[in-house]
Amino acid sequence: MNVKRIEAIVQKSWYSTQRDIFRIFDIFFWPVIELFVWGIFSVFIAKTAIDSVNLVTMLLGGVVLWTFFNRASKDISLAMIDEMWSRNFINLFSTPLLISEYIVGVIIVGLTKLIVSIVFMFFLAYLMYGFNISSIGLYIIPAALGLTMFGWTLSIFVQACFLRYGHTVEVLIWAMASLVQPFSCIFYPLSALPYWAQYIARLLPTTYFFENMRATMMGKGINIGELIIATGLTVFYLVLALVFLYRSFDQAKKSGSLVKNY
Amino acid sequence: MDDILVVDQLKKQFGTFTAVDGISFRVGKGEIVGLLGPNGAGKTTTIFMLLDLITPTSGDIRIFGLGYKRHHEEILQRLNYSSTYVEMVPRLTVWENLLIMAKLYQVPDPETKIKNLIGRFGVEEFLTKRHEQLSQGQKTRVHLCKAFLNDPEILLLDEPTASLDPDVAAMVRAEILTAQKHGMTILFTSHNMAEVEEVCERVLFINHGKIVAEDTPMELAKKVRQARVNFMMKDGQKRTMEFAKKSGFTATADGRFVTISVDESDIAFLLAGLGELGVEYREISIDKPTLEDYFIKMTMKEAV
Repeated sequence: MNVKRIEAIVQKSWYSTQRDIFRIFDIFFWPVIELFVWGIFSVFIAKTAIDSVNLVTMLLGGVVLWTFFNRASKDISLAMIDEMWSRNFINLFSTPLLISEYIVGVIIVGLTKLIVSIVFMFFLAYLMYGFNISSIGLYIIPAALGLTMFGWTLSIFVQACFLRYGHTVEVLIWAMASLVQPFSCIFYPLSALPYWAQYIARLLPTTYFFENMRATMMGKGINIGELIIATGLTVFYLVLALVFLYRSFDQAKKSGSLVKNY
Repeated sequence: MDDILVVDQLKKQFGTFTAVDGISFRVGKGEIVGLLGPNGAGKTTTIFMLLDLITPTSGDIRIFGLGYKRHHEEILQRLNYSSTYVEMVPRLTVWENLLIMAKLYQVPDPETKIKNLIGRFGVEEFLTKRHEQLSQGQKTRVHLCKAFLNDPEILLLDEPTASLDPDVAAMVRAEILTAQKHGMTILFTSHNMAEVEEVCERVLFINHGKIVAEDTPMELAKKVRQARVNFMMKDGQKRTMEFAKKSGFTATADGRFVTISVDESDIAFLLAGLGELGVEYREISIDKPTLEDYFIKMTMKEAV
């Protein structure tokens, strides 16, 4: 991997973001909307339910952690679709740039945007609802890392689908997080899911991260075994997604779709 | 001459469609070779295979004696490409786009390099404009700047002067010839046959994915034996047309101007025959066959 070429991809994205008010807007808009909707719901519960303090904190904690996953799941695929719409793909890949360097560059940009988004969200959650990050404690570190990694994994998977199937799978960028959400147990425990759905949920690392978030907030402590399973699943899916991406890139070169679509 | 680019039995199939059908050619260091052919002939697919953007179905490409499988980065670092039909990032300014591309090619001092190139291709005046605000001609000039960023040893140019004003196109041709003098090898596609005749030392004529002819532009033109004899008539226009028809020549009339297409060896016979008939003309000119005539002949032949 070449650092200068990765730097070029980061710089390109920086220039693009500066020029596009909607990209800046995107960093702040969705976190605000999520926080607003769930915050209002939490306040409603706080007013009506007895002993609801934990529940409110859990809901807001869920919203904040979900943002890590949700943003990361779109970062790489949105960057790629931007190249497709710009018809810049041929220019990029007729240089010595490698697909791995491109992905790393996009991830660096995504991480920067994610940090800005999250800091803004924490600040807003504290200001609007008095939500304190300390309620999650140090667990925020492994949870944020794991959820972001799994988000990137799905984003890499969607990117591989683009390369293989073209524009027809664009909808996956926005749909992927929503497909995973019901099984991830963000706002309810795993036991609340129907029996069949619990099988699917156990295959998702997100489930373990949110289950442990609730356990932490209720003072039960972290289940290390579950975190190991979540990390293992994340790494397993990441490897699968990367293999699929490389194969799809080769396939796109074979089918000619790399130059036809982009 | 050292062969810097060797293509051997290159084939590309998309499903049942064969875009490139087992072509082989070599390009020597410092040579300018034209890749000609009608739309859909396989030129662009060939160029994309040379850039490793399309994987060949079979065959071999050796650039600088290296193959893409093991030397992808090394080859592309020493190569560049420009096409009128490819875009840069629309929201970025010309300067920013060139800077990014220079970094991708790891140009040691990108700012200085870009400043040198923008003068050569007349890009200074719109350097701060966004790519999306440029005219097609301006975009083409920016693409040419990009193509020279890494001082490539091989340059692949797809329609490099399309959309350019004649004076700018002439400037670009001069740049290409200068680059060749400095040892650059250029593979060139164009629909401007006069340009190909001016710039290229050798032409590969490709049709239906196959190389159907390979020679110098002059030699290819010579393969078309039909010349056009143009007359501005003074007297005997009707007799001229009748004589042409009787002799089996194709003749067209436009006012007092008559053009007769004849085999080069029949020109003397035509002029002697018209003389015997007492035909008088004020002016006469003979258009020798050009590369464009060859292109039309080959394309028409395939169409029939």
